[in-house]
Amino acid sequence: MSSVTIRLRVNGRSYEVQTEPQRTLLEVVREDLRLTGAKEGCGTGECGACSMIVNGRLITSCLMLAPEADGADIITIEGLAQDGRLHPLQQAFIDHGAVQCGFCIPAMILAGKALLDANPHPTEAEIRRAIAGTLCRCTGYAKIVEAIAAVTEAP
Amino acid sequence: MAEYLQVGRPAPRVEGPAKVTGQTVYADDIQLSHMLHAKVLRSPLAHARIKRIDTSRAQALEGVEAVVTAADLPPVAREDESPGAMPSNRAEILLAADEVVFAGQPVAAVLASDPSVAEEALDLIEVEYEELPAVLDPLEAMKEDAPPARGPVSDIDRSETQAHAAVDVEEERAQTASNVASQMRLTRGDVEQGFAEADVVVERTWRTPMVHQAYIEPHISLADYHPATGTLTVWTGTQGQFFVRDELSKLFRIPETKVRVVGTELGGGFGGKVLLTQPLAAALAIVAKRPVKLVMSRSEDLTAGNPAPSCVVQLKTGMKRDGALTALQGRIIYESGAFPGSPIVIGALLLGGYYRFPHLDIQALDVMTNKVPQGAYRAPGVPQVTFAIENHMDMMARELGLDPLEVRLQNAVQEGDPMANERPYPRIGFKQCLEAIGENDIWRSRGKVREAQGKRRGVGLAAGGWLSGRQPASAIVKLNEDGTFGVVTGSNDITGTNTTFAQIAAEELRQPLETVSILTADTATAPFAGITGGSKAVYTVGRAVKAAAEDARGQLLAIAAQLLEVSPDDLELACGQVQVKGTPDWSVPLKGIARASTDFGGRYPPVVGRGTISAHKHHPGFSVQVAEVEVDPETGKVTVLRWATAQDVGFAINPLSIAGQMEGATAQGLGMGLFEEMLFDDQGRLLNPSLLDCHIPTAADVPPIETIILEVPSEEGPYGARGVGEPPVVAGSAVIANAIYDALGARVSEVPITPERILRALGKVRE
Amino acid sequence: MRRFDYYAPGSLSEALSILQERGDGGRLLAGGTDLLVQMREAGLHPSYVVSLRRLPELRGIEFDEGAGLRIGACADMAAIEAHPSVRQRYRALFEGASLIGSVQTRNMATIGGNICNAAPSADSAPPLMVLGAVAEVAGPGGRREIALEDLFTGPGTTALGPNDILMALRLPVPPPHTGSVYQRHTPRQEMDIAVVGVGVALTLQPDGEAIQGARIGLGAVAPTPIRARKAEDALAGQRPSEELVARAAELAVAASRPISDVRGSAAFRRELVRVMTRRCLGIALERARTS
Repeated sequence: MSSVTIRLRVNGRSYEVQTEPQRTLLEVVREDLRLTGAKEGCGTGECGACSMIVNGRLITSCLMLAPEADGADIITIEGLAQDGRLHPLQQAFIDHGAVQCGFCIPAMILAGKALLDANPHPTEAEIRRAIAGTLCRCTGYAKIVEAIAAVTEAP
Repeated sequence: MAEYLQVGRPAPRVEGPAKVTGQTVYADDIQLSHMLHAKVLRSPLAHARIKRIDTSRAQALEGVEAVVTAADLPPVAREDESPGAMPSNRAEILLAADEVVFAGQPVAAVLASDPSVAEEALDLIEVEYEELPAVLDPLEAMKEDAPPARGPVSDIDRSETQAHAAVDVEEERAQTASNVASQMRLTRGDVEQGFAEADVVVERTWRTPMVHQAYIEPHISLADYHPATGTLTVWTGTQGQFFVRDELSKLFRIPETKVRVVGTELGGGFGGKVLLTQPLAAALAIVAKRPVKLVMSRSEDLTAGNPAPSCVVQLKTGMKRDGALTALQGRIIYESGAFPGSPIVIGALLLGGYYRFPHLDIQALDVMTNKVPQGAYRAPGVPQVTFAIENHMDMMARELGLDPLEVRLQNAVQEGDPMANERPYPRIGFKQCLEAIGENDIWRSRGKVREAQGKRRGVGLAAGGWLSGRQPASAIVKLNEDGTFGVVTGSNDITGTNTTFAQIAAEELRQPLETVSILTADTATAPFAGITGGSKAVYTVGRAVKAAAEDARGQLLAIAAQLLEVSPDDLELACGQVQVKGTPDWSVPLKGIARASTDFGGRYPPVVGRGTISAHKHHPGFSVQVAEVEVDPETGKVTVLRWATAQDVGFAINPLSIAGQMEGATAQGLGMGLFEEMLFDDQGRLLNPSLLDCHIPTAADVPPIETIILEVPSEEGPYGARGVGEPPVVAGSAVIANAIYDALGARVSEVPITPERILRALGKVRE
Repeated sequence: MRRFDYYAPGSLSEALSILQERGDGGRLLAGGTDLLVQMREAGLHPSYVVSLRRLPELRGIEFDEGAGLRIGACADMAAIEAHPSVRQRYRALFEGASLIGSVQTRNMATIGGNICNAAPSADSAPPLMVLGAVAEVAGPGGRREIALEDLFTGPGTTALGPNDILMALRLPVPPPHTGSVYQRHTPRQEMDIAVVGVGVALTLQPDGEAIQGARIGLGAVAPTPIRARKAEDALAGQRPSEELVARAAELAVAASRPISDVRGSAAFRRELVRVMTRRCLGIALERARTS
């Protein structure tokens, strides 16, 4: 048994992909769909850089075999801006200086979105907990937390 | 005070929109058609002779394009060509040929278009090793009868270290075969006399472990070689594309006209991402005659990267009753791993560089062991020695009943005071940083709350500094046909320097920031820039950009003067135009100048501003920090409650990105103090090759950080700016140690100060 | 990762027959948070993988006052953490589930995977043990039940055979006046593997004065998660006091057989068992009183 065919809905678009089963959702999205915003930082679910929202839940796509995502509805960072307008989180990250090297940023923004979708008014501690699974080595998290908090306060 | 339009203002990163939408291209995002994936077989042993490698079964696996050992690679040029010599430069050994000197060292590589196949093939390569005695402890390695970790060192290549901090102190290279690759010594006065005069003398040994930079993007290179033209192209995340080009050119004896290094956007570097995968990737591309992508997995990067060296500091210091320091005697032992190159000079200069010591005697040694070779990690060599001296300052102060901040103020170096090599300090802002922390609420409220819900609280402060590097730099500023500008440098942006360069150009040209684009071009298309590291990018490349913008300004005024028939001295730049001073209506638009200097038949030469500079002056930066911690005295668990970081930045060209640098570095210092260490077993193998077990701080571990920016202008930097990237990482370990001491009355002389080490210091765990 | 054959059966019987046919060398896949890590970094290379995600029998979390709690093996930690009955009636399990990994991990990791991976530090194990959990297993011979304590046989190994599938965990309704808690020690605030994990479930007698019974589960201090039975015996029928709790904590230390590894020395772990058992007994007592 070699290839499997999987159907994915990514950022509102449907795709049919043929892949060998040992490939992960991360590899399929990056290499076959050419959406490279999600990154591989560790391959073991410890850094969060590969995070995607799958069926409404934030997951580390490096630990999801591609066939396990068959039929899933997926949001990646590329799906956040609408008609060229940045999502409030994306804008806040820029405005607050939360972006340095940028490698963790797609995942951080998705982690922020997953948090706010479930809890529109989190405390600072809740924000930190929600992004604890996404590592950043550049910012010390300070401005990332500020950016997410800024979006929660906006009307 | 000058009124500035652009510099001195917080500016969001120019590449922000690309990064928040996932459009930025990092090295792994690039795919070339016909590309092969490389997987590397690594030595499981710390020290061994390779007796035999059999790749036949691996080669037979369907889908394997090639299996490569040292014998199959193009020969590389060596600094020391004498037979049997083992290079001191790690880059010269792409795949081990006869001897492996650290666990994780590359031994063979498999190329395949399917990475799964390549991985499976690794298992099919048979290597027969003959184990050799491994040297795993630097103090043991220093002994006369210690077995050699590896072949004797030839001339030590310090070009990469120099890129981080240009210092001119003599080093003594090893004359005989020894694991001590080099050493140096700085002396002043007579330390015995100094200790005799002291009222308190503190003597202790301080240890810091190997720590990894843990950039979130691992090392990656994609190399392509075209035999017909002899051209090598490498796309890679690197802090120093020109350095990489230079090395590749030397190694493979290809002229730099035919080596092109494209530094892709970097996912973190912190000093550790200069040269690692590029030589092997290039060699494999030359062998395969197809593009080769070489990716280090996280565990490979942790195992075989280039982490900060472990260090033992044996320190003795003396202070008089009135708080004046008398003497410092120190021996700094860095563990360089299997290749030499520890930053012994910088370490020695900083150990004796914070305070005025009438007498000092500092020895620093670079000791080799059979472990992964060290590299630069943000202020290389300095957090290690600072941990020692900053604990001593607290210890001496407390013993004499003096205030820890006051004794630092009393003894802190200032302009004119000698560095440990007797050169005088230029203008610096160390005292100002100390004063700022003295005013800070965390310091002022110390002692008010000692206990909360069964946990103890404490406040500690520490100083950190960095001498900063200097290197020549160049930049171009060009006028576009529509009157906007493009800035081009060859400087790889790791910290937001590109935004700062755009601000500088916009300032000098008096244009809105949006009309200035900034590009890091590759080595074929950009003017030279050094490694982005050593806190020198804005200091040098920024000056070059400023000079290029000034040059462009001069050209614009000259052309406008002709068009308007006035003298250039009567003209000034304004938004979108050049005008007679104070007279906006009497002007020519930039667009007009552009057309006149680019159109067919145009009468004026194109406006291309050129800036080239050399830097002569050091611009030391200091950062003093204070934190409040809470410790559970029964489990040893530490929670960091508050942290304030003060730093002298000379002039804050972009306060937003500078605050980001301070916060990020503070978090790394916190990690060094509380969590991070690379642990090895008795066979020299890394026990924790994962981000999980290296305990990189998460958002839940780092408190909000208050940043206090001070400005004591440097002598040579643009607008008085100093390098900012490194000073704020240095103090973290000592801040933690001093705060924990304040909370518990127990001092731990080894970082990370883990819960277990705390319980042992409290006597609650003994065996 | 290396190549393997992949199956995604739609029914339990289909899954069981794949295991029977293929035999050795396969692995069951639930959330993937342990399996894929081992396939990447621990040299585990199964020749085939059987996904459990489509099996309805392994899903769901149900509670009723008669049968108690039934958690499908493929229920993820986030769902367990969010279930109101878990939080209200099985507090230790709520706490264990909420501590595992990160948000991302909890959305993927399953309780079945956590148990079958059988790390001595598994955060769901002490809570499940002290709450009296029983594992429902399906195999070639049909269904059977195994008490959780009997399920773990060594670090990374369970009593399950290569053709068995863990179906669900069942927990009885806790008696009245029961309080439970799970705590663990880690160096960072989030994400880490437990250096020591302690779970306690304590039931007071109907008059609320003496302890009717207590269960103490310890993680990461022995080759498997264990119960500190002598400590439990010392508590049964006794009136709570500081001395009693201290004595029970000492007995828990005596029951531990920790090793020294990268996360801590054996001596450090024993000290943590002492401190954390004492603390957890106090919390469980408090919760029992207010339940």
